Amino acid sequence: MIKKHLAMTLILFLVFVFFSFDAYAARLNIQCSDCHNSEKFKAGFKHSVHGNTGCTSCHTSFDSLDKHIILREKPKLISCGTCHSEIEKQYRNSFHSLYEDFKCYDCHYDIHTLKPEKESFKVAVTKNCTKCHTNDEYALSGHGAAVMKGNKDSATCSDCHGLHDTKAYHTSGEVYLLEAREFYNKTCKACHSNREMMERNNINPDAVKQYEETYHGKVFDLGYATSVAGCADCHTNHNILPKSNPASTIHPKNLTQNCGKCHSGIHPRFAEYKAHPNYRDKERYPQLYVSFLLMAGLLLVTFVFFWTHTLLWWRKVYWEKHHMEELGVKLESPFTHKEGIQRIKRFSVTDRIMHVLLIISFFGLVITGFPLKYHSTPWARTIIRVLGGAHNAGLYHRIAALILIGLFLYTLWRSFRFAFPKGFRKEGWKGFFARIFGPDSLLPNAQDWRQFKAMVKWFFGKGKPPTFGRWTYWEKFDFLAVFWGMIAIGGSGVTLWAPELASYVYPGWVLNIASIVHSEEALLAALFIFTVHFFNTHLIPSKFPMDTIIFTGSYKLEELWRFRTPEYERLVKEGKLESLKVKHPSITLKIISSMFGHASLWIGLLFTLILLWTFFFA
Amino acid sequence: MGFVVHAFQRTKGSKAMAVVMLCILPFLCSCKAAPLQEKGQKNINPQTVVFLMKEMSTAVIDTMSYLECMDHRIPGSHCIALEEIDKKLPSAFPNKNTLLIFYCESDRCPRAGRAFEKAKQLGYENIYVLEDGLVAWKRAGYEVETIQRVRRSPVISIKSSKIEVLLKEKKDLFILDIRSEDAFEANHLDGAKNIPFYMLHKRLAEIPKNVPVIVIDENGKRSFLACCYLINSGIKDVTRLFGGMETMVHQKRNK
Repeated sequence: MIKKHLAMTLILFLVFVFFSFDAYAARLNIQCSDCHNSEKFKAGFKHSVHGNTGCTSCHTSFDSLDKHIILREKPKLISCGTCHSEIEKQYRNSFHSLYEDFKCYDCHYDIHTLKPEKESFKVAVTKNCTKCHTNDEYALSGHGAAVMKGNKDSATCSDCHGLHDTKAYHTSGEVYLLEAREFYNKTCKACHSNREMMERNNINPDAVKQYEETYHGKVFDLGYATSVAGCADCHTNHNILPKSNPASTIHPKNLTQNCGKCHSGIHPRFAEYKAHPNYRDKERYPQLYVSFLLMAGLLLVTFVFFWTHTLLWWRKVYWEKHHMEELGVKLESPFTHKEGIQRIKRFSVTDRIMHVLLIISFFGLVITGFPLKYHSTPWARTIIRVLGGAHNAGLYHRIAALILIGLFLYTLWRSFRFAFPKGFRKEGWKGFFARIFGPDSLLPNAQDWRQFKAMVKWFFGKGKPPTFGRWTYWEKFDFLAVFWGMIAIGGSGVTLWAPELASYVYPGWVLNIASIVHSEEALLAALFIFTVHFFNTHLIPSKFPMDTIIFTGSYKLEELWRFRTPEYERLVKEGKLESLKVKHPSITLKIISSMFGHASLWIGLLFTLILLWTFFFA
Repeated sequence: MGFVVHAFQRTKGSKAMAVVMLCILPFLCSCKAAPLQEKGQKNINPQTVVFLMKEMSTAVIDTMSYLECMDHRIPGSHCIALEEIDKKLPSAFPNKNTLLIFYCESDRCPRAGRAFEKAKQLGYENIYVLEDGLVAWKRAGYEVETIQRVRRSPVISIKSSKIEVLLKEKKDLFILDIRSEDAFEANHLDGAKNIPFYMLHKRLAEIPKNVPVIVIDENGKRSFLACCYLINSGIKDVTRLFGGMETMVHQKRNK
C-alpha cells in the first residue's frame, strides 16, 4: 500500500516537473527582443545605464502579453518614479512638469540606449538644456563659455535653475517677480560668497558682502526685491561677462545705459557710482576710504568726549546729592517759598512747537531709517513690516525729512533775524558783535570756555560748580550740532533722494560717500540724542526722570536763580524779570507734556538698547 | 477647504451631502484676487473637482486646443476649445443644469474664465472654473491622462529682437500665429498667418514644409507643443517666439 502511494507521488512529481520545465521553456521562448529586435533594444539597451534591468522593470502595465504580441495592447506609459522616487518628487513641481508636461524621456533622449555621460556633468547639462533653450548669451559667453572650456566652478544651467526641480518662475511672463528675484539672487550669492571658489577664479570674494552694504543690497535683504537692483539687473541673466569685455553690461562704455534702465534721465557721470565697493580699500577707493575714516573718527571723538563728560558729571551730581542727603544739608535760597515757585518763561510757544515737531520728525527718521542700516536684524524686518513695507518706510522717512528741513530753514531765518533784526540798517554794525556774542546768542564765546574748564575742575572736586547764563555750552553744542548735522545728513539725504538729478551736480561716487555720511551721521545723531542729550536734560539726578520745560515753556524762579545766576542777575538788572513771569502751567499741559515727553524718552532709550544689542550680539 | 472635502469623502455616496456641497460651493470659492478672472467667476480647487466628479454628474472641460487636450488632460475631461464653446457646448450638453467645470493649461491662462463667460451667456447655470488650471491640478498631486501624446522634440526659442532682425533682413519666413482669431485681429506681426491652435491639426496642409517656421502664441506657454506637433508632422525648421506676443508687446512698450 505504502509502495503504491510512493509510486503515485513520484509519477505526479515527474508530471509536475515535466510541465514546469515545459512552461519555463515556453516563457523563455518569448523574449521581448524577439520582436523588438533592432540594435537599439539589443546591444544598445544591454550596454545602457538600465542594461542590468529587464524590459518589464519599466514596462509593467500589461494586461495580456498575448494581446500585446498581436498588437492589440500597448503598454502604458512608464513611471520612472518607481525607482527614481526622490527625483520624481522634485520633478513634479518643476516648470517642465507643471507647464509643459514633459516626461523624463523628453530630456533623457532615447532612454533605451542611455549611457553615462563621458564629459563632465556640467558640460552635459549645458549641452542638453541648450538643445531647446538656445540662449546664445549663456552658451557662448560668461558662465556657459567657462563651463564648456572645462571650468568646474562655473555655473551650469542647473546650478541656477535647478536640475529636476526647475522653478516655475518664468521670466518672460513678468509674473512671480518677487519669488524669481529672491531665488536667483540667492543662487548668485551662494557661489559668489564662497571665498575659496572666488579666489580660485580670480573674482572678488567680497562682492556679495559689499553689495549687501549698499542701498540696493539692504532693501533687497529686507525682502523688497522688486524695488531695487539685484544681481541680474546689472549683470544680466545670462550674458554675464567680466568688466573688461566690451560686450559686458558693466563695461565702462555700457554702464550709463545699464544704470539708465532703472535710473532714467541720468548724466553719464552717474555711472561712476560704485555698485559694491570696499570702503576699506584705500588703493581702489581712496575717496570712500577717507570718507569712512573721517566719519568713524568723528563718531569716535564725539562719543569719547561727551560720554566721558556725561559720566563725570553724573558721578559728581550723584555723589553730591548723596552727601547732602547723608548730612541732611538743605539748599539755601534768597526767596520765600511762594517767590521761589513763581514760573519764569524760558521758551516761547513757537520754540515749544518747533521742538515737538523736531521730536516727531527725528523719531520718524530714526524709526524708518535705522531698519535699513541694520537690515539683517530681526527687529529691522519687524519694524518695516509694521510700517507696511520698505516703500512706505521710505515715504514716511521723506515726509519726516521734509518736516526737519522746514524746521531747519525756519531756524536759519530766525538766526538771521537775530543777527540782523528790524532796524538793523539804522543802527548799522554797532550792536552786531555784542548781539551775536552776547548772553542771548547761541554762538560760543570765551565765557563758555571758562565755564567748561570750571565744570571739569568741579567734576574732580577742584572747584565750585560754575553758574550759567541763558545758554550753557552743551546747549549751544546741541543747537550748533544740528547745523553740521543738517549739512551732512540733510545734504547726503537729498542727494540720495534724487540720485539722477544729483548726477548733474557731481559724479556717481559721491552717492557712495553720501551713503556713508548719511548712515554714520544718523548713528551719531541718534546715539547722541538718546544718550548725551537725554542725560544732560532729563536723566541727570537733579532732573530725573524728566524735565518738561521744553513743553511747558517755564521753570521756577529758584531754578533760574540757582542754576543760571548771571542770567537772573542780568534779567533783574535790565528790568526784564517781571515781564517773564507767567502763570503755573495748566494741568492739561502738564499731563500732555509728561505723556509726550515720557513716550519720547522711553522710545529713545529702548532704541539705544536695541542698537547696543545689535552692536554686540546681532 | 481641504478638510471639508475630506469630510465629504468619508461619507462617500451621500447624494444629500453632495447637494449641500453644491450649495456651499459659492462660499468655498476662493476669495484670492486672480488677475485673469472674469467678473463673477466662481473658482474651485482640485480637491473639490475630484469630489464633484466622484459624487455627481459633472462635465470637466479642457478649454485648450484639441492637440493639447489629447496630449494631457484631467482624466475623463471633454476637449472643447474656448473658440468652439458656442458651437459645441450646447450640442454636447443640452441640459442647462449640467455642472460644468472649465480649466485651462496654467495659472496664467484666461481661457477657462472666458469659457465661463460664454457658457453663462449660453444659459448654463452651474459653472465653475478650476483655479490655476492644470498647474494647480498637478500641484495637488493628481495625475493627468494622455490620449495621444505629441512627441517632444528640441525646439529653439528666439527673442523678439531677433525676429525683428530676421524680418528686416526679409528672410524667407513663415510666421505662424497660433492665437485665437480675436487676438490675431487685435495685433499681429506683418505677414503672419493665423492658424489658431485648435485648428492646427485640421489646417496643417497650409503650412509650407520647406521654409523656416516661427510659431507665435499668447505668452510662450503653448508654442512649444505646437512646434513639436509641426516637427512630428514633417516640418523640420521650426522655432518659437520666447515669451509669445505678450512679451513682445511688453518689451516694445518699455522701449
